[in-house]
Amino acid sequence: MAGPCEVLLPATELSSARELGEVAAAEAWRIEKKYSRYRQDSVLAWIHAQQGSTVRLDEETASLIDFAQQCFVISEGLFDITSGILRRAWKFDGSDRLPDVATVQNLLPLIGFDKVRWRNPFLTVPDGMELDLGGIGKEYAVDKAYDQLMARCPAPFLVNFGGDLRASRPLPNGPWKVGIERPDTVQTAAMILEVEYGALATSGDAHRFLLKDGVRFGHVLDPRTGWPVPDAPRSVTVAASSCTEAGLLSTLAMLKGARAQQFLQEQAVRYWLLR
Amino acid sequence: MQLGPDPSSVRRRLIAASCALLSSSAARGEQGSVTDKIGRMVEDWKIQSALAYYREDGRIQAIEPVISAVRDLSDGGRLTLNFTFDSLSGSSPNGALPNHNPQTFASPSARSLAAARHLYTVAPGRLPVDPNYSDARVAGGVDWTLPLSRLTRLSVGGKFSYEDDFYSATANAGVEHDFNDKNTTVSLSVSSENDFLQPIGGAPTPRSDYALFEKGGHETKRGQGLLLGLTQVMTRNWLSEVNLSLDRFSGYLTDPYKLVSVIDGAGDPVGYVYENRPDSRTRRSVYLENRVGWTRASAGLALRYMTDTWGIHSDTAQLRLRWWNAGRDQYFEPSVRWYRQSAADFYRPWIAPNAAQETYLSADSRLAAFHALTYGLKYGIKLTDRLGGFGRGGTEFNVRLEYYQQTIQNGPAAPGALQGLDLYPSLKAVLLQIGFDY
Repeated sequence: MAGPCEVLLPATELSSARELGEVAAAEAWRIEKKYSRYRQDSVLAWIHAQQGSTVRLDEETASLIDFAQQCFVISEGLFDITSGILRRAWKFDGSDRLPDVATVQNLLPLIGFDKVRWRNPFLTVPDGMELDLGGIGKEYAVDKAYDQLMARCPAPFLVNFGGDLRASRPLPNGPWKVGIERPDTVQTAAMILEVEYGALATSGDAHRFLLKDGVRFGHVLDPRTGWPVPDAPRSVTVAASSCTEAGLLSTLAMLKGARAQQFLQEQAVRYWLLR
Repeated sequence: MQLGPDPSSVRRRLIAASCALLSSSAARGEQGSVTDKIGRMVEDWKIQSALAYYREDGRIQAIEPVISAVRDLSDGGRLTLNFTFDSLSGSSPNGALPNHNPQTFASPSARSLAAARHLYTVAPGRLPVDPNYSDARVAGGVDWTLPLSRLTRLSVGGKFSYEDDFYSATANAGVEHDFNDKNTTVSLSVSSENDFLQPIGGAPTPRSDYALFEKGGHETKRGQGLLLGLTQVMTRNWLSEVNLSLDRFSGYLTDPYKLVSVIDGAGDPVGYVYENRPDSRTRRSVYLENRVGWTRASAGLALRYMTDTWGIHSDTAQLRLRWWNAGRDQYFEPSVRWYRQSAADFYRPWIAPNAAQETYLSADSRLAAFHALTYGLKYGIKLTDRLGGFGRGGTEFNVRLEYYQQTIQNGPAAPGALQGLDLYPSLKAVLLQIGFDY
């Protein structure tokens, strides 16, 4: 999680607000430490170190893997937490340096959640494959921090981790006002949404792309081909009752490429899409 | 990539999966209530309208409806249109001094003192005013802002104003750029104005004898302006702004209807002359404003210092405070404004006979040294929930009341017979404005 994270509270005392902020922060850091692919002490690093041996997962990690598997099935293979190794081929730095076809091809045998053996709580990840929870980690952290605060805070509050947010209930004199920045370089005006309760998650980022010969390659990769999904929207924001659900829907919409809008309409969710 | 037979089953299965993951917190099956009251953002106009009634004690009264519409464009730009109609009537001072004897003047439309229906007589001791003053003005403007890049915006605009005897057209253009995570904004703008005057009865020869009725045709004047601005977000609650501006006007800057009394040593008027102002004026001003805002209140302090080549320099200070009620749907906004200016070099409440060396002169009290205080109170109430769905976020009704009092600094003591007369009467005026924003 590299974006700014905040908790908004209409609390009257600084000490209680700080305490609640620290509770949310502690939960966010706990999740980050446990599931970051960049940390040597994370659960994922431990799983990868087993090099193909079966491991027994703790309850929380097991439920995350359950969820990832269900998403893999629901999305018919588009959402795949084993596709993280494609970052070895793709560097989305705004340049025109596309990877060569062979590099990408060589990674494909190491991708595919169907190759992972999962029978709760026992997980076997074949040697050479990797799991990456980046696609759901932040939204999950919002929901977990939300749960922590729900148990301690009777007042309305809003948890916002870098744009993925969830509100418990409206403020005394009206809804929360949330500004969504548009990713386009030209548009400066933000959209203002009024949120009473519920979650918002946004997929898409204008700064992570490659541009070659006038064709823009977004950073959302199709795990079956190893290449970016063609015609992916620039940004999708979805409203749902939990941040995890909103996050998955926005990710799935991005993966649908040209059919993103149709997909979101079929799901009957509130969404905002920018091309 | 085909989905299963029931497309929305994706969502239901996703809800079930996230419920399982999050156990307690995803218990609510509904999607939450996220509304986008972004009517203003997407192809929609925000309208502000007001009706103002202005009255100067014993003098002018004006009724002015104003309407403006703002639309945010999908490229992040903005379009603003506004339209004003002014209707003025009442009495306007003609520049002459009061006297112990009655004085008779001709309205601007008169061609000589012989045409009786165009004359008016001023009672002894009263400030000479033209009682038939009436004017209707129509004005409008357009302003368009378009983003050149994420941090830079270009604006272009134009205004026009039309009255019986005066047309004006202005064009302006400006550039704004943000720095420091948009905490600092720098702006530069230029404007150019062209005015065409066709005084009723014709423009009189400046400085000429009133009784000769030497009147010509039309006149023109021009203005150019340059504005440099800097806005800085100081803290989360505090915004500061400073502007430097330079304006230059040239052409016919005289008021074609104003006179200067010619008073002899005994204090009797021996005649009147039309005023005459220089044909150029350069004005520099510095403006500083600070605004702070909290949850239930906000305050703003604005200061301006202005100096020009006519010898006028002025200071303005304005303080505004706004208080919201607990429900944050109503506010009160008291304000106070203090203004002081020095007289123009050529301001002359009257002149002596044979004062031929004075080319430029004017008795217009707006060029005199004076100070003024304005007290104001505004009340606003948000109507969004009160109109049963008609109102959108931002629908507001407001009322403003202002009281203006101007005191002219006493000039030189009047000779002889004019002593005992109030040559520099103070001005009081009231403004009532009712507004509706949608």
